[in-house]
Formats: sequence, structure tokens, C-alpha cells
Amino acid sequence: MKRKMKIEDFGRPARQLVTLEPSDLLPLPPPYDEPRPLKQLSEEQRERYEASLDGFVGIGITKPASAKEEEEFVRKFLSGLKKLLSKENNWTFLQPLVHSLDYCVKCQLCNDSCPAYVASGKQEIYRPTFRPEILRRIINKYLKKESGILRKLTASDIDLNFTLLARLAELAYRCSLCRRCAQVCPLGIDNALISREIRKLFSQEMGIAVRELHEQGTVQQLKVGSSTGITPKALANIIAFMEDDIEEKMGRRIEIPVDKEGADMLLLHNAGEFLAWPENPEAFAILLDAAGISWTLSSEIAGYDAVNYGIWYDDVQAARVAIHHAEAARRLKVKKICVGECGHSHKAMLVIADRILTGDLNIPRESALPLLADLVCNGKIKLDPKRNDFPVTLHDPCNMVRLMGIVEPQRKIVRAICPQFREMEPHGVENYCCGGGSGFAIMQSMNFPDWRNNVSARMKMKQILEAFGDVPDPAQKKYVCAPCSNCKGLLRDLIEYHGAWEKSGIFYGGLVELIVNAMTDLKKPFIEWEWH
Amino acid sequence: MAKVTLGGIEIEIDEDGFIQEPDKWNKEVAEDLAKAEKAYPMGEDHWKLVNYLRDYYLKYEIAPPVRMLVKQTGLDLKKIYELFPGGPAKGACKIAGLPKPTGCV
Ligand code: SF4
Ligand code: SF4
Repeated sequence: MKRKMKIEDFGRPARQLVTLEPSDLLPLPPPYDEPRPLKQLSEEQRERYEASLDGFVGIGITKPASAKEEEEFVRKFLSGLKKLLSKENNWTFLQPLVHSLDYCVKCQLCNDSCPAYVASGKQEIYRPTFRPEILRRIINKYLKKESGILRKLTASDIDLNFTLLARLAELAYRCSLCRRCAQVCPLGIDNALISREIRKLFSQEMGIAVRELHEQGTVQQLKVGSSTGITPKALANIIAFMEDDIEEKMGRRIEIPVDKEGADMLLLHNAGEFLAWPENPEAFAILLDAAGISWTLSSEIAGYDAVNYGIWYDDVQAARVAIHHAEAARRLKVKKICVGECGHSHKAMLVIADRILTGDLNIPRESALPLLADLVCNGKIKLDPKRNDFPVTLHDPCNMVRLMGIVEPQRKIVRAICPQFREMEPHGVENYCCGGGSGFAIMQSMNFPDWRNNVSARMKMKQILEAFGDVPDPAQKKYVCAPCSNCKGLLRDLIEYHGAWEKSGIFYGGLVELIVNAMTDLKKPFIEWEWH
Repeated sequence: MAKVTLGGIEIEIDEDGFIQEPDKWNKEVAEDLAKAEKAYPMGEDHWKLVNYLRDYYLKYEIAPPVRMLVKQTGLDLKKIYELFPGGPAKGACKIAGLPKPTGCV
């Protein structure tokens, strides 16, 4: 049931603050319009983990065993919050954080731009301004003691306790950091940044973070080389497999350069590609070879995995990973780093890392998309668009379009090589997040995937179905092109969850795969639809 | 994390049923895991896949790319889903005692 929720209610004891009803969710077009039950936690899981926000678990915070532990929890949070608001401890994001906390005029213009809020049937707690308001009230009541009058005017009855804070931490993982709300705000308030700073406080000051992002994410990446667990030895094995695969498809062997000192560019892939979509790095190798570009991969720790989950939850981990990436490039003496099809890595390497990498670590870094557009549009590779004669739509990764304005290169490509290309609406800088941003696509535990498939990714599902609305026949194969590994992971799970291959013939894949599929050199089609 | 009895021995599993102590894995453990994954009784093809995954894991400390698995075992994806309704990662890897896949995969 949807209930009016007041900020003051956020810390009140309740088994569950809100319950999502399938019938409240944004309707999807038929045959996807039947409400489906949402996966519930077992009683045992509810006992063990804090799940009293909405009945879903993203983090899995364990409950304090004693009153003393609870006190300690609150104390640590408050001391972390103080640090978050001080220049010495938060030089990275203090300015936009304070700006966003202080200047929101609560006009609520941003609300309807949020895919999670709208898709949930407008659940109050998912409103973009809801979580910032909780933080604001905590600050007003507990940290602004000195300014007595102001406090009386603004402070409300919000009492800190474990339940409130654990709910706040979970709530920071119901925002995919897509920044669609920030884009429409007339004052430039970035509510996504506030979500991310809340995550950061919990991680850096309290050791509370999502396992897939931290232990199995950045920690594993810095230890064995990749958040996927791929070691340098496994990488070598997979690359040999990819070379064999290319030979089979092309009729000739291409050597994939690894650790080639002095190459012009180091290409960084999200390592998920090697495991789940090796055809993507294969396609890159084929294109760069055909265009005669001097490039290399790295087999250094983190040098073969572009991901930097730190930008989603922890400044320290983000900096460590960025430095590893730059060091891998420096050791190989390349002229630049080129980031493949990975959205958040674009943000990490091309935007955030500007504040971290100095001196000889500040190696030029760029996106692969303009380079690919140049290859396709300037006749550097022989292509025949008829080979891509099936309906194609384009999904825009938030970090590429909204954050960085990389909008046209991918469009120039698909317009040139996909005769049945159609945009989904809205697109470009106004795109909707796939629903897997900020770590959601890789958070695979307990019932979180069900929340993702039904709430954060719902708007994307609707857009995709509408883009292909004129060709409902499942016999007509369709391609959602997503130039981002994280978005692809989301799309794979989403398509499977809804049975969209069986019902509508909807498949997904990257951008380079479409380019290589159009190459006249190829003996057989590069895209293999049987991997749905 | 919880302890359960699989193949007559106590093993720790995570919230999603993946065993946390890969050294304790054996044939009986696999069969008990297969029961929960609707992949029981295990026939020749089940074992072919599970043993392949297991060998790859022991060598490279990770599960192989699905495409490699398909090529090297000669079992296509459709067949794999017939054998392991949970699919190669959530079904077959779990039964082979591999850790849960992580990262953007
Ligand atoms: S964030 Fe911006 S748009 Fe949203 S309520 Fe505040 S001022 Fe208005
Ligand atoms: S960043 Fe995106 S998901 Fe988060 S509150 Fe804003 S619109 Fe919603």
C-alpha cells in the first residue's frame, strides 16, 4: 500500500516502512502488463539483516547486538558526517555537497524525472529529494547546535537511531546515480551526489558497503587484478581463446597485443567483457587491426580491468584504482589511454581522475567512441549496412551522455550502418538509466535483483518495448545496442526476467559488434543471436 | 552465511547457496547441490560440464567464459539450460563448487 510518508516517520520502528505492490508499479505494454509478485526475503534473512526500509536488501547490514553497539553505530555516523562536511577530510566533493544541501528550494521539479520514483508508482521514499532531506535534518539537529535560532526554525523531530541510519544507507542504494534529477534542477542541485556521499560516509567511516562493490569489487581488483576475479594467468588463457575465435570468424589470425611497450594507446576494457562478452574485445581487436592503429592491452593488476567501483561508494578506493590504471599506462610508455565500452569507467578515468592524477601519471585519456565514429564515417573500414538489416535501438549510458556529452559519435555510427535504426524516447542527454547504474547491475544477492528488474529498470524496459512497438513479432530479431558492459549486464538480466527474447525477439549487445557485423571482410555474421 | 549439510558434511554457504569452502567439494556435495538446482539425477553430460568447470577453476581460480565452455564441451547453451535450469553461472558453477561470479559479468 502506498502511504503518505513523512520525513519524521523514517526512523520509527516498523517491520517494514513501505511495501511495494506490483499493481502500483508503472504499467508496461502487453504482453508484459501482468503484475508479478516481488521476491520476498526469508524470515531468517529478515532476522539477520536490516530490511525494514522496503523489504529489499542491497547492502545487508547486520543488526547491533546490544544497546551499546547501537550507540557506537550512531556515534560513528555523526563523527563521519562531521568529516564529510569539513574541507580537510572531504576536499574532493565538499563544495558540490554543501551547495546541494544548502540551496535546494524544495520546488520538487526534479521528482518526475527520476525513473525509480516514477516506476515505483511514486513511492515517497524514492523521491530524489527525500534522502537529501533526511541528511539535512540530521545535520540541522545534530551538527548545527551552535546556531540556535536557525536550528529551531528548521529542525524537526528526527531522532537518530540504528534503524533510521540503516534505512538511510539502504536508501542510498535505491538511487542509481543517473543524475537525471540534477539535469532538470533549475539550481543545479545534485541529489545523486548526496546519495553517493551517504554511501561514502558509510564505507569510509563505518566499513559498511555492498559486498559486490567492495570486497568482491575494488578490493579484489587491487589484489588479483580484476573485480571479476580474472588473474593475469586467466587473462592470457582467455586472450588465446579470443584469438582462436577471431580466426574462425575472419579466416585469418589477428594477434591481440598485450604489454606492447611504446604502443600509441592502451585500450582499457571492463573485464566483464572478457568473461561474459568476449566478442566485444574481439571486435575491438578486429577494427583496430583493420585501421592499422598501434595499441595494446595491459596484463598488470587492474591494467586489464577498466572498472572503478570506487566512484560509486568510496573516494579512497576510487583513487587507488585510478592510480593503478595510470601506472599500467605509464609503465607501457603509451601516449594515451583509451576507454572501451564502459560508462562508469568513462566517468572515473576521463572526469574524476582529473582530480587524482598529477605529474607523469596525468596521461591523456579519451573515449573510444569518437575514434570508432572516425573509423566508420571516414571510410577507414569497408562496411555494408545491409548486413545489419534488422531493427536496432540505442541505449545511452548516463555517464557518456549526461555527464560527458558524448552523444553524437555512437549515433553517427548506427545511422551509417543500421538501416532500421530507431531512437528510443527520450534519448541522448535526457536518456533514462538502464536501471543498473551505480552498481545495481552487479548487485546479485538475495532479492535485490527483483527490485532492480521491477523498479529501477522498469522505465528502460518500457522505452525498449515502445521503440520496437511497430515490430512485435518475435521472429523478427531486434538489437538493443548498449555501449557499456554494465548496461549490457542489466539488459541481459532484464530481458531474461521478462522473457523478452521469447515474446518479442529482443536481444542486446555492444556497439563494436554491430560495426564488425557490417564488415565486408567477414565470412559469416559476427553477431550470434543464439547467445540470448 | 549459514552452515548446511551437503553430501553428509557441514559446509558454509552464502545467501544465494554458493559454497564458501571450495576444498570440501566432492561428488556427493555436488549431487546434493544439484538437487536444489533441479539438475538431479546427474547424468554423463552433467558431469562433463561440472568436471570441466571444476578443472578450469582449479587451474585459473575463476569460471571460464561461457563461450569457451560451450566450445570446449560441445554442449550448446540450450542444452546447458536443459541440464542446469539455473544456467551456466547460477546453476552449473554452483554445483561445481565455484564461487559466485562477481564484477560486471
Ligand atoms: S533539487 Fe532542485 S528541482 Fe529538486 S526540489 Fe531542490 S531545487 Fe527543486
Ligand atoms: S540520480 Fe537518478 S535515480 Fe537518483 S534520485 Fe536522481 S533521478 Fe532518481
